[in-house]
Amino acid sequence: MNGITLFAPELTVVATALVVLLIGLFLNTESKKVLGYLASAGLFASLVLTLMNLDANAVMYSGTLTVDALSQFFKIVFLIVALLVSVASIKYTENNEHVEEYFTLVLLAVVGMMMVASSNDLLVLFISFELASISTYALAGFERRNLKSLESAMKYFIIGALSSALMLFGISFVYGLAGTTNIPEIAQNSAMLVSSPLGIVSIVLLVAGFGFKIALVPFHMWAPDTYEGSPSVVSSLLAAGSKKMGFVAAFKVFMIALVALKTELTMAFAILSVITMTLGNVIALSQNSVKRMLAYSSVAQAGYISMAFVVMSPMAITGGLFYILSHGFMKAGAFLVTAVVGYMILSENREAENVDHLENFKGLAKRMPISAFSMMIFVFALAGIPLTAGYMSKFVLFSSTIEAGLVWLAVIAILNSAISLYYYARVVKYMYFYPAEGERVSEPLPYALTLIAAVVGVLILGFWPEPFIQWAMEAANVLIAT
Amino acid sequence: MLPVLSMLILVPLIFAVITFFTKTKEQARTTALTGSVISLVLALYMYMNFDSSIASLQFVEISKWVPSLGITYSVGVDGVSMPLILLNAIVIPFLIIYSWNEENPYPNRFFGLILAMQGAVIGVFAALDFFLFYVFWELTLIPLYFMVSQWGGPNKDFAAIKFFIYTHVASLVMLLGIFALYFTAWSQTGSPTFNIQELLTQFQSFEAPLVKDAIFIALLFGFIVKIPTFPFHSWLPDAYTESPIAGNVLFILLKIGGYGLFRIMLPILPFTGTPNLMISIMAVLGTASIIYGAFVALSQRDFKRMIAFASVSHMGFVVLGSAGLVSLSVSGAMFQQFSHGLILSVMFMSVGVIQTNAGTRIINQLGGLSKKMPKLALIMVVVFMASLGLPGLTGFVAEFLVLTSSYVNLPGYVLAVMIGIVITAAYHLWAMQRSMFGVYNEKLGDVKDLTNYQSLSMAVISLLVIYFGLNPNPVLDMMITNSEHIVSLLSVAGV
Repeated sequence: MNGITLFAPELTVVATALVVLLIGLFLNTESKKVLGYLASAGLFASLVLTLMNLDANAVMYSGTLTVDALSQFFKIVFLIVALLVSVASIKYTENNEHVEEYFTLVLLAVVGMMMVASSNDLLVLFISFELASISTYALAGFERRNLKSLESAMKYFIIGALSSALMLFGISFVYGLAGTTNIPEIAQNSAMLVSSPLGIVSIVLLVAGFGFKIALVPFHMWAPDTYEGSPSVVSSLLAAGSKKMGFVAAFKVFMIALVALKTELTMAFAILSVITMTLGNVIALSQNSVKRMLAYSSVAQAGYISMAFVVMSPMAITGGLFYILSHGFMKAGAFLVTAVVGYMILSENREAENVDHLENFKGLAKRMPISAFSMMIFVFALAGIPLTAGYMSKFVLFSSTIEAGLVWLAVIAILNSAISLYYYARVVKYMYFYPAEGERVSEPLPYALTLIAAVVGVLILGFWPEPFIQWAMEAANVLIAT
Repeated sequence: MLPVLSMLILVPLIFAVITFFTKTKEQARTTALTGSVISLVLALYMYMNFDSSIASLQFVEISKWVPSLGITYSVGVDGVSMPLILLNAIVIPFLIIYSWNEENPYPNRFFGLILAMQGAVIGVFAALDFFLFYVFWELTLIPLYFMVSQWGGPNKDFAAIKFFIYTHVASLVMLLGIFALYFTAWSQTGSPTFNIQELLTQFQSFEAPLVKDAIFIALLFGFIVKIPTFPFHSWLPDAYTESPIAGNVLFILLKIGGYGLFRIMLPILPFTGTPNLMISIMAVLGTASIIYGAFVALSQRDFKRMIAFASVSHMGFVVLGSAGLVSLSVSGAMFQQFSHGLILSVMFMSVGVIQTNAGTRIINQLGGLSKKMPKLALIMVVVFMASLGLPGLTGFVAEFLVLTSSYVNLPGYVLAVMIGIVITAAYHLWAMQRSMFGVYNEKLGDVKDLTNYQSLSMAVISLLVIYFGLNPNPVLDMMITNSEHIVSLLSVAGV
């Protein structure tokens, strides 16, 4: 009986998705604006319901689903990101005839992510993963008259399909060896995994499968093209939401199910995370498209977060989780700013191309002060400037590597973080120190609201991290204890 | 009681934000001046109520911040930090007055950055928690970076980036040291804390000498790059040369590197695995800076670059005095920080005036300026004499204390420094002679003297140079109290 109450958040989102789709049929294009409000309301309700059940702890439906501190943590991250994206999308989808499809896809993607966070069985995990993936493939190509958007969707789809295949293949090996797809039971039968060389094969396949979603080097090639080509609001959902889904899946599979193969994992992740953060930061240095720069920075951030898999101490996982929460605000916010800038450029010139070019950020402080200020906070947070969420998370995560005696890893991460300052500061310079080339434009209300909400999030996490760190610790304990 | 110290950090920061949002130059400079004057009043109030006879921390404020990681918001001052806070609070208002009428495309940001810098620097001096310390430490980078990259000279972008990356990397090395200190202490006591005093005490009982040395070197690296000492000074000439004058003064007031030596390095120095090696490292770096800085300054054509190297040379005394490890040499080093802040501020302001009024700051292209600029010449004579160490001025007090007392432990180094002192006198006098005295260079045309705003601010600081030169006790007393406390740790360690 508990199941229904505990899954109320997911059910709310599903119901909202269906209602939005249905109502959309009967509305004309002008009045479809209401669908955006409806979707946002649904997400908000779901967020409230999740918050009410924060301390829940249960395994349900024949052990296929679980609700614990970890799943609740990720669900809240997903819902916050989705809420930001959906409110911003109210403006983005204005006067579009496919509003209902857009919001339905967003909502279904979120359900997929939330189910991944709750899954306790590899098959459920895979199906939820696919639900989220397929919805986002379609979202990436939402601007169907924009060649770049279509290209990005195509690339994302093909590579995503490949990664799903690899992941499924890996799961099949695990099933073959352990005789079950239930995550805790796999952990109990881990002897089979360790003794067989196929255990390593399954790990390689699973790392590849999740690595695509997380955008770890060398599985990252799709990310810059997709983030650049997709509508900015969708990029925001991909970078801040869908990527985290990869992380929660990886946390569950590697830290609970395959923990017996820890030593192999540690080395693999150490190499992957170092390459990922270095490559992401170095390539980001030379980007002139802000979205592409953010995409590479997102690759680099994935590298930092992956350090949690290397260290695997409670402190590291707390840091990784806290980083995921902060990253949700920072990255979602930064992509939303590019959406606002795109709106500004397109409202002047319908035919404009490359709207996210750095040139278009010139003098943004004069043209759209709220967006410029928010962007400054987001990039400073991403760079890890003190008193922002990014600093706090880097502080916890990087210090945990020292605790574990991996000084070399901390040194590499810290040097990377120093490099990244250069390209982040460049955006601020363009916004604040170059003369404006256009009139002042006032931000549409939905955009302004989401930006302010994300800024507040980033600053609260930076100034007053205590409760969130406690909360991340509880979530981390779920992974450690089992 | 009022949280005076927190107010002293917050007032400049709040006024910085207000200044950013002002519309006109008039509003910007008035707001900034108001903010800095309030800070000055607060700092003077603290100074009046400060007890120089005790070495413990005063005006302490502690509140919880992130208990699960042992992070607290704790601030306080003692004889090490009080004079430096006072220095900042005194110079900043006069810096704003000095910049009162300067041409400036973005006055709101310019004055805002000055105040932001003041808040951040005072924050570093007041912080008693490593986390807070590091936050403020890093915050000081941002205003300086923008100061150089926006208002700087022709090569500003390069200089700003070089400064930023160089010192940022050094800070990150320091951060590694802090982490190591934090975790080693955590595993020792079982509870996390970032409290500086607590961690420094814990350091004494760490077991592995290698860990202790590694922590010490990592922290030391962060500080000596910031000071900077030879051979880690190469960011400084570029940054100082390209920076606007206000930026130069802010750089000069950025005494956080030297402060780190007194607050963090000296208390743990006796407990490292190889204290004698560490002392030698510091003494060598200090001596090399003094001599190297002096020689390079002698060969400079650009006035500002000359002062930049003079600064490297002067800061060498801070490091040498710390390594001297006698109470008077350490207080001499502290006093050198204070005195250097006053003297070099005025020296940079003078060069700024020469640059704008005569159109160049290449020393050989000047000449006989005293005929057209008598007021500037008078002020420059005072600060140049102070800078080369003429008795009766602050520079002498500091260098005398450092040299005579360091001789006890480091006689060889002190003898070597004597060469540097001769050169120091030479380049100061030679630069003055070529630029201010002699035949007036007619190519310069009609050169104006100081404006009233400039004379006011430069004269007041120069008077302070004379005042503290004749009567250093108001700040020296508290420095001696604290350096005695620091040096007493030596006997605890049995070094």
